[in-house]
Amino acid sequence: MSILLEKHIVELLQERNDKAISLLYDNYGDTLLGVANKVLRNEELAQDVLQESFVKIWKKADSYDPTKAKLFTWLFRITRNTAIDKLRSLNTKTDKEIQIDVSDVYNLGVESTRPEFMDVQEHLDKIEEKYQIVLDALFFQGMTQQEASEELDIPLGTIKSRLKIGLRELRKVYGPAVLLLLLNIV
Amino acid sequence: MKDKIKNFLESDLLESYLIGTTTEMETMKVEQYIAMYPEVREAYNELQESLEIFAKLHAIKSPEGLKEKITARIKSEQVGRRKFFRFAIAASIVAMIFAGSSYFYWDQNQNLQEENSMVSNKIKLLEADMKQQLEDVRNQFIVLNNPSTRKYNVNGNKKAKELKAVAYINPVKKLSYINVSNLPHLPEDQCFQMWAEVNGEMLNLGIIEEAGDSQKLLALPYAENAMGYITIEPKGGNQNPTVDNIVANIAY
Repeated sequence: MSILLEKHIVELLQERNDKAISLLYDNYGDTLLGVANKVLRNEELAQDVLQESFVKIWKKADSYDPTKAKLFTWLFRITRNTAIDKLRSLNTKTDKEIQIDVSDVYNLGVESTRPEFMDVQEHLDKIEEKYQIVLDALFFQGMTQQEASEELDIPLGTIKSRLKIGLRELRKVYGPAVLLLLLNIV
Repeated sequence: MKDKIKNFLESDLLESYLIGTTTEMETMKVEQYIAMYPEVREAYNELQESLEIFAKLHAIKSPEGLKEKITARIKSEQVGRRKFFRFAIAASIVAMIFAGSSYFYWDQNQNLQEENSMVSNKIKLLEADMKQQLEDVRNQFIVLNNPSTRKYNVNGNKKAKELKAVAYINPVKKLSYINVSNLPHLPEDQCFQMWAEVNGEMLNLGIIEEAGDSQKLLALPYAENAMGYITIEPKGGNQNPTVDNIVANIAY
């Protein structure tokens, strides 16, 4: 995301110009839908959550502080929290725990096999699964390293080192992935 | 210091802060570390970038129409807000008008109530006054109409030649009245005062007003062989009659 575009969107948001929502959707919609889907593992529910998240983003626009977080970080927090709330309300409704089964996480969805997402998938494939699992537990499931260690039955030290390597691997794909994503948007 | 930063980075507070799962206290601590230590700031920025990349790697193509749905909802949210504000403004204006007119009517009601009580008091006084006057007139009529009532013409002496009065005395009913029909004009600082000598005592019967009293009967205290006097006294009346200034006397 170019810093200029990010700035422009933030300005529009704070002016309460609804063009901001359109721009946010074009630039982050797919990614945020992915975030909601990672938490809920249900695309339909993820779409509902994306809608609710955008309403929250619109209402909370005044509370965004660019000195404290990048725009995406802020959007991610709102979307993830909305998805977690949805998950909790579903759990209390059905009184049935939706188990976080790590083996499900990397099953390819139908959407992911679409041609325009193949490149992204390729990049993801470059990162070994054992690193992805740790990144996923920490970023999407919101586990602490200790919780991930217990949940995944991996020693805490290993979690720590896999996180470090995982992050390094991510940064390796950073350049081309972002370029491709930008090309996709244009 | 180095250890402190290292320990902080080793803990996963920064990662928790990144995704927004820290408590308020933890958030304050993390924000303080980010502000104070460049190493922490750098780690945080790297994490933010990594998060964005990692999330983008999991992007899902959003279905057709979802964007339109969302923008429509935001627009309705805005319209709702505008509508609400418009309604709120209208409602406050109505409330203000209502409050203003309520106060106006309340104030008017208060004034009317005061006036009402004043008027009814006046009516009561008038009624009492009228009853009193009617009673007086009736008594006077009884006295005047009684066959045993005698009429005495009273004339002033040298000092007040023009003074003319009529006294009515009824020894049976033991009532007496006097009607002063004409009074000579007096200087401003003087007035006529009436007295009655009853059983050797001088009783003050009051000042005779110059105007308006000619039609009025003044009651006199009755006693056998009493004497009535009219004197000229200083304005406002006197405690005792000034004998030199007696202008008329009425024997009855």
